[in-house]
Amino acid sequence: MNTETLIAVNIGLPIVSALAAFLFNHRRAREGIVSVTALTLIVSSLLLFLNGGMELSLGHSFEVIVVVLDFVLLLYFLYQGFKALSWQVIVLSLGQLAPAAYFEFVLETPPVEAILVIDRLSILMTLIINVIGSIVLVYALGYMEEHESHQGGESRQNLFFFYLVLLLGAMNGLVYSNSLYWLYFFWEVTTLCCYELIRYEGTEEATENGLRALWMGLVGGVAMIAAMYVANYGYGTIAIDELLAAIPSRYLYLTFALMAIAAFTKSAQLPFQSWLIGAMVAPTPVSALLHSSTMVNAGVYLVLRVAPAIQGTYLTYGIAFIGIFSFMVTAIIALSQKLSKKILAYSTIGNLGLIIFCAAMNTPLSYSAATILLLFHSMSKGLLFMCAGVIENRLHTRQIEDWKGLISRLPVTAAITMVGMVSMFLPLFGVLLGKWAAIGITATAPLFLSIVMIAMMVIGSSATTLFWAKWLGHFAITPMSDSEPAKENLPATYKLSLYSMLGLVIAASLGSGLVLNRLVAPIVAMNYGKVWDTSILVLSSQIGSFMILPLWAALAAVFIVGGLIFRSKGGVVKPPYMSGENVEGEPEVFRSTADGVVKYQIAGMFFDPDITESRWVPYSTLAGVFLNMILLALVIL
Amino acid sequence: MNFRYMVPILYVLATPLMGGLMMGLDRKITARMQGRVGPPLVQPFYDVIKLWGKEPFISSRMQPILATGYLVFVLTGLTLLALKADLLHILFTLTLADICLIVSAYNSESPYSNLGGRRELLAMLSYEPIMVLTAMSIQIVTGSFLVSGIFSYGTPLLLVMPAAFIVQILVLIIDMKKSPYDVSGSGHAHQELVRGVYTEFSGYTMALVELGHWIKTVFILSLICLFWAHNLLFGAVLALALWFLAILADNIYPRLTWKSMLRTTWLTGFTLILANFVVLIVLEVI
Repeated sequence: MNTETLIAVNIGLPIVSALAAFLFNHRRAREGIVSVTALTLIVSSLLLFLNGGMELSLGHSFEVIVVVLDFVLLLYFLYQGFKALSWQVIVLSLGQLAPAAYFEFVLETPPVEAILVIDRLSILMTLIINVIGSIVLVYALGYMEEHESHQGGESRQNLFFFYLVLLLGAMNGLVYSNSLYWLYFFWEVTTLCCYELIRYEGTEEATENGLRALWMGLVGGVAMIAAMYVANYGYGTIAIDELLAAIPSRYLYLTFALMAIAAFTKSAQLPFQSWLIGAMVAPTPVSALLHSSTMVNAGVYLVLRVAPAIQGTYLTYGIAFIGIFSFMVTAIIALSQKLSKKILAYSTIGNLGLIIFCAAMNTPLSYSAATILLLFHSMSKGLLFMCAGVIENRLHTRQIEDWKGLISRLPVTAAITMVGMVSMFLPLFGVLLGKWAAIGITATAPLFLSIVMIAMMVIGSSATTLFWAKWLGHFAITPMSDSEPAKENLPATYKLSLYSMLGLVIAASLGSGLVLNRLVAPIVAMNYGKVWDTSILVLSSQIGSFMILPLWAALAAVFIVGGLIFRSKGGVVKPPYMSGENVEGEPEVFRSTADGVVKYQIAGMFFDPDITESRWVPYSTLAGVFLNMILLALVIL
Repeated sequence: MNFRYMVPILYVLATPLMGGLMMGLDRKITARMQGRVGPPLVQPFYDVIKLWGKEPFISSRMQPILATGYLVFVLTGLTLLALKADLLHILFTLTLADICLIVSAYNSESPYSNLGGRRELLAMLSYEPIMVLTAMSIQIVTGSFLVSGIFSYGTPLLLVMPAAFIVQILVLIIDMKKSPYDVSGSGHAHQELVRGVYTEFSGYTMALVELGHWIKTVFILSLICLFWAHNLLFGAVLALALWFLAILADNIYPRLTWKSMLRTTWLTGFTLILANFVVLIVLEVI
């Protein structure tokens, strides 16, 4: 199949399927539409990967459609602003309507030659969006059935799947766009989908969080329009490839700085982190999609796109600084969180910060680290959110304190969740390969800046390890009362999505050499040079070497040796030592002095009151605002 | 067989022996400091052999696997070190081993074991940043995380980064579970009644964990030897000096809280190592 068709499928099919899913509000029809879409998107993105990139110019009629739709969208935002009486939304949509109208109808702008440019970076993004996104779509089918069966009433799933599927199309369009205006349009569509999905439940909290996501997204839109104006004023073009190749000047750096700020809004970097935390009120598939393959990746993508053009500037280190600052702060805040989805959300922001940091450090190795982290993080985080959703639907709680004894209650889901957690912070998996490289390049900035960044990196990494490890430990607590594992029945959609994502996470880590060669290296080679030297056992770069496969061999040894020891020695499971007599058949109880029965409870460690959200978030948000202002000042002055 | 691999293999095989002997020596020295005679030098070996033959009680089915995991991953890290692989990757492997021990402690529903696991986690949080910072300094100085890079670097690391060397004493104290930072489980009966992170281990799982701990101690001492890589014998003398200081501290200081452990290690660790950087930058070494 030729590349044009594939591109049309990747953007067009989600739009068509979204409409179909909206019109046919029936379970069977929805399942058919969504699964066919998912399968087609996976196949077409793989074919696109095999075909390679191209440039595409489109007819004028497409341009007109995009402009019209863009104004419809902006007017819809304005309407929503008036409906909810949200002054932020009103001001920010007016702040886009007027400049966009002036830009389109008054200003003379030369047309962009290649509207869509598909290169290796876009292809990686498209793979992430379509493969991981499609798995989440399948998961959503099962999840929403369970979810609605708890609620009753008429099904509103058609609306839900409309925006969910549309989001994939918008993301595909976004990563292909070479015209800033098109990029801006798809950007706004993702904002729309995100807003509608977050407020889907219709509760007061959902509406409020949706509006917050909307106005923060609109801040990004305003920054994008401003970037368009500056680019057009300075260089007379809004084609991204021409801007990247342009001779640097203050205007160019200002354009890129504005694009970076837009990226921070999408990727929820400080001070824009609160919308992503608030997004957890939506049904879990939304989080799984926003955090893994779509939305937040749009911002990261923009930084990855722009970074090569600003090598060695203050701007690049400014962006890197905001990234690593977000990484450190969110890792610390995550230590104090008790809700599963909140921990995952803070971890996402931290990882995105790390990716942005790596991309903006702008060395060949750091750039490859950013793409590695992007890829592996999206898989692991998708998996973790899906598991969190399954557990939540079974236990009806997000409190990780109440997630006890899952190994015996939900053995399959618990095992997959634990693999997911391990994949985020232990060196058997690809995320740590990225982090390894990230630590290695921290010192490549000007030296005195490096010292600060090194400290932040170490603090952030330690906090990350701590919050994952303590969650993993708490998750692993196995009460004596239920030592017999229960049988777990998962619906087919869950099985399909969880197993395939788990398979992806493990396979990509085992085949990390191949991933580096086929996916990462071509992207890095576009702007830098060769970085990785891969052999079967060792992945080496100029700063050292990382070995994933030997560690897996060691893991296999653990199971073989441990199994043999267990088989020869056996083991009688005994109740824990309690400084007193255990009460037969009653867990969490022991006899103390004078035969008094004492109940005990194991609670998690949350560093209260040293770290609390209410104290840390305002200060760090303020610091984020300050850092963003410094970033702009650096460019303008 | 290639001769190049002989030395690493011999080193890895000899480590459990060295670890056991050092543990025995540790107990002997401690006893003398306290005016006792102390057990024979090979007592730790007797202990482990006896543990291995004890009745097999476990706290859950995951425990034997995780205890094996601790031992195997410590050995993996050691092997990577012997092969002069990547320092940061070696530290990650060490984390992997630690996590096995910690999850295993959390795994049982015992409050003591849970508290121990939590404190072991905090101990890890205290010493790991120091080690990572040291590895990063080494990378900045030698240009590579590879241990082989340290050997091919012109001057011994001790001369370039003395401050980083000094803070290794904290790492050693925490790893050997010595006072004042033995919060996660001390070796002394006078220190506590329930043995922190080790509470729920018994019999062969305890033997596995004990063996892992010996190897880990030698492993960390070996890392300290790298500060004088040009003459490893002298490096070993340096490491043993720190080891002796850790035992001395154990017999002088009472246990401190985890908060003070965290505060001290982070403040001293970060300040000294980063100050070391600044000096190197000013002197234009890097």
